[in-house]
Amino acid sequence: MKIKIYIILLLFIISSPLFLLFTTENIYVSQTERRELAKLPKLTFSSYLSGSWSNGIDKYIDDHFPFRQNIIYIASIIRHNMGFQIKDRERILYIPRLKGNANYPDDLDSASKINYLTDFNEAMAGNLLVLNGCIYTLNSGSPTVAPAFSKMLSDYALQFEGKVRVFSCVAPLSSAFIPVERYARYNGENKKTLDAIRDNLTNGAIFCDVLGELNKHPNEKLFFGSDHHWTALGAYYAYISFCEAAGFEAIPLESMTYKYKYPFLGTLYEQTRDKTVRDNPDTMKYYMPDVFTVAERYNAYNYNAPCHSEVFCEHFSGGGSYSTFLCGDAPLIKITTDTRNGKKAVVIKNSMGNAFSVYLISHYEEIFVLDFRYSKHNLIDLIEKNNINDIIFALGMYGAVNHGTINMMKQMAFNRGKMPEIITLPDTVAPDIIVDSIPPEEFINEEINTDSLSETIN
Amino acid sequence: MFFTTDKIIFYLLQITNYCTFVRLFSKDMVFSSLSFLYIFLPIVLILYFSCPGKLIKNLILTVFSYIFYAWGEPMWIILLIFSSLFDYFNGILIYKWRGHIFSKVMVIVSIVGNLSLLLAFKYGGFIWENINFFVELPFPKPENTLPIGISFYTFQTISYTIDVYRKIVKPQYNIINFLMFVSLFTQLVAGPIVRYKTITREIENRKINWDDIWSGVSRFSIGMFKKVLIANTAGMLVEKYLDAQYFNLSIPEAWFGITMFSVQLYFDFSGYSDMAIGLGRVFGFHFDENFKHPYAATSVADFYRRWHISLGRFFRDYVYIPLGGNRRKQDRNIMIVWLLTGLWHGASWNFVLWGGYFGCFMIIEKYSKSILDKTPLAIKHLYTIILIIFSRAIFYFVDFDKLRAFIGILFTSKKPINPAFYSDLSAHSFLFILVIILCIPWNEILAKDSKIWIVSTKFYNSYSFAINILLLALSTIMLVDATYNPFIYFRF
Repeated sequence: MKIKIYIILLLFIISSPLFLLFTTENIYVSQTERRELAKLPKLTFSSYLSGSWSNGIDKYIDDHFPFRQNIIYIASIIRHNMGFQIKDRERILYIPRLKGNANYPDDLDSASKINYLTDFNEAMAGNLLVLNGCIYTLNSGSPTVAPAFSKMLSDYALQFEGKVRVFSCVAPLSSAFIPVERYARYNGENKKTLDAIRDNLTNGAIFCDVLGELNKHPNEKLFFGSDHHWTALGAYYAYISFCEAAGFEAIPLESMTYKYKYPFLGTLYEQTRDKTVRDNPDTMKYYMPDVFTVAERYNAYNYNAPCHSEVFCEHFSGGGSYSTFLCGDAPLIKITTDTRNGKKAVVIKNSMGNAFSVYLISHYEEIFVLDFRYSKHNLIDLIEKNNINDIIFALGMYGAVNHGTINMMKQMAFNRGKMPEIITLPDTVAPDIIVDSIPPEEFINEEINTDSLSETIN
Repeated sequence: MFFTTDKIIFYLLQITNYCTFVRLFSKDMVFSSLSFLYIFLPIVLILYFSCPGKLIKNLILTVFSYIFYAWGEPMWIILLIFSSLFDYFNGILIYKWRGHIFSKVMVIVSIVGNLSLLLAFKYGGFIWENINFFVELPFPKPENTLPIGISFYTFQTISYTIDVYRKIVKPQYNIINFLMFVSLFTQLVAGPIVRYKTITREIENRKINWDDIWSGVSRFSIGMFKKVLIANTAGMLVEKYLDAQYFNLSIPEAWFGITMFSVQLYFDFSGYSDMAIGLGRVFGFHFDENFKHPYAATSVADFYRRWHISLGRFFRDYVYIPLGGNRRKQDRNIMIVWLLTGLWHGASWNFVLWGGYFGCFMIIEKYSKSILDKTPLAIKHLYTIILIIFSRAIFYFVDFDKLRAFIGILFTSKKPINPAFYSDLSAHSFLFILVIILCIPWNEILAKDSKIWIVSTKFYNSYSFAINILLLALSTIMLVDATYNPFIYFRF
């Protein structure tokens, strides 16, 4: 009898998620994972045959399992207690989802294949080092891919024939600053990648020695321990290296006001959920130049209906603290300042460029911050119509050593999102404002042949 | 002629391409998934136990087995049904023409038919590669066309027709019962290979026994725990050491990585077998054991009496003994069986090498029996474990260049030990202790009337509900944890 009750009880327990799944209110976005959760797939004959329907159901159940977030938290505790944790001892965490694809070309001989895999393992193996509650990305770029980035930059420099200065301000990875001797080689290896960028720049493109400047401050907090970004201080030293290259006088840090955000547990913590990192959250100190600014955010495809924005968004906190800079990533942000020197700049960036861009407001009247990952605006058009003086490529090294992202930056010359011609309307006619938030279909479906970029520019 | 060779090749390639396309989207259903444990299983259990009559119960199991199979492989269900019907009729005809030459012809048709399926779908790409190495073939390599479970269900149906031919069993005339035997989801995807004779009676006549169901539940929970907690955790370490840090390994780290792969392989495979045996018992079937503490073996031969027993028995009964067994050309027979066993595990030369490796040691052990008998047990155990762990390298690295490089690392690496290695050892120490405890054959060491055995059995029986809930809860937590997938944007 006892066994019978056990079985019925167990059946009840394993049946309950089935009812809870379809009776409880659904969450559509996971804040901690920063992604949309799976939606219930539609059943069609073709979706069933292809297996995409059943796959979708699996994903839906995975994403909407009752008490999922709490269970994930418990799992991190279980993982942490599978043995003794040695305090202050370094650990290498392997995160499979961070791993790149190691497929090598078929025609490699054995020795080249081994070399290829060694290089790959250095760059993309998905290893993170945890040391004293801080996480470091354990790779160092790729001197082999870096020249492709330099060529892209140099092609842009040639396109503007010296009328516009082109700067390369590539940030190293946090691996360059691991405070343990046996990982010191990563600093040199980051340098190799950045040197490869410098050595291959031509047509007057200018290199900012960001790593050289950061290396002058080895004992300062240059990168966050729980996030892959640099700190406001790290970005400031990059800004100094830019000022040196551009011939500007850098604004002293002491002349800026500063604020704090605490606690900050960023992207690397999200990936690892490591307890030692959770117990050692970052403090985000950020510095604000004393310049009046007006910022506007544009959608990916056009210049219609910008939203009001800020250079420093004070309301971000917790895991999103880094979004304080420029209110996070956007396809295009236009910053107008009260600086009066007639200079205008375009910053081509990924998220590393956010913390860097905020210091530029002291040197330019207008700054267009373009995120190459999201923007569909035409870079050439933007530069020509706005009489831009400087283009600054301010990005993390991942973006500069990846053919996919380099192609995205190349594509900016061909994007169809052009600025409308300025038409003076009669005073009596009120212009209709069309909020064009949905991109025209031809932009989405359009395929641009990036291989022809060099030919076009040349 | 209407069907020219070119046209046939063209249409075959079209089918292959479609299957490859389907494969891109499909994700097989496995026991260790939330969809199976919390959606599929409760529905099957409720329907199964609420319906009367063996035939209806068998029909429910058949229908749900097809749903289970079609979850990831909607297209390949045609192959499963074809294979089942093919041998359903073969079995009837073999029995009908028993004693006649036609009976022999039909059993040959069955074997050739099943092996052709395996050759076409499992070994097609492999055969293409090897022929193309010598002569350039006029069509591209067939890719990714391996239907799941094909290695298991084709062997099950081969064993059925041969056993009917040998008059060990009578054919199954009821088509639903036969379809259920071939497609039963409990062992369809990952075995064990269930012989028809094992469950002949239970297919038609089995009783619901609550104690049996509960013991099945317990076995399933243990299997799930072994797979999700132990095998998956070991798997993470395997990926980390044998993949992500591959070229920076010191000798101890390399051995640790390959040892973890041995742990992963055993707990994954035996965990699946436990779940299959447990589920079978819940539905009233009693499958044979597939693993008997293999890492406690004291010789290679002993190891394979304890590891994947259903496969070993299949090759013993249908290949080794017909070839002559111990009576005639035993060494040749051993080598053939082991090369085939290797090939069964995968369509790649490293598996053949792996089979040959064990074949050689089986033969060496045969000739050095007198020395082995005199060797202390601990030394024999150590020798076996080292050979087995080393063999896992051959199993893991499909690429021969990587395998050669890794063997070099195993013995000659000059790299220093990364201090993070010690952190991994200590951070998983409880898990390693658990692995050792679970690898020890307590049922062989302890006498059934010993105090420890009696006390532990009593404890388990008293708290079986709590233990099962705990094991399932821990497994669920880790399964949910595996769904955690934060958006990775910083790669770009």
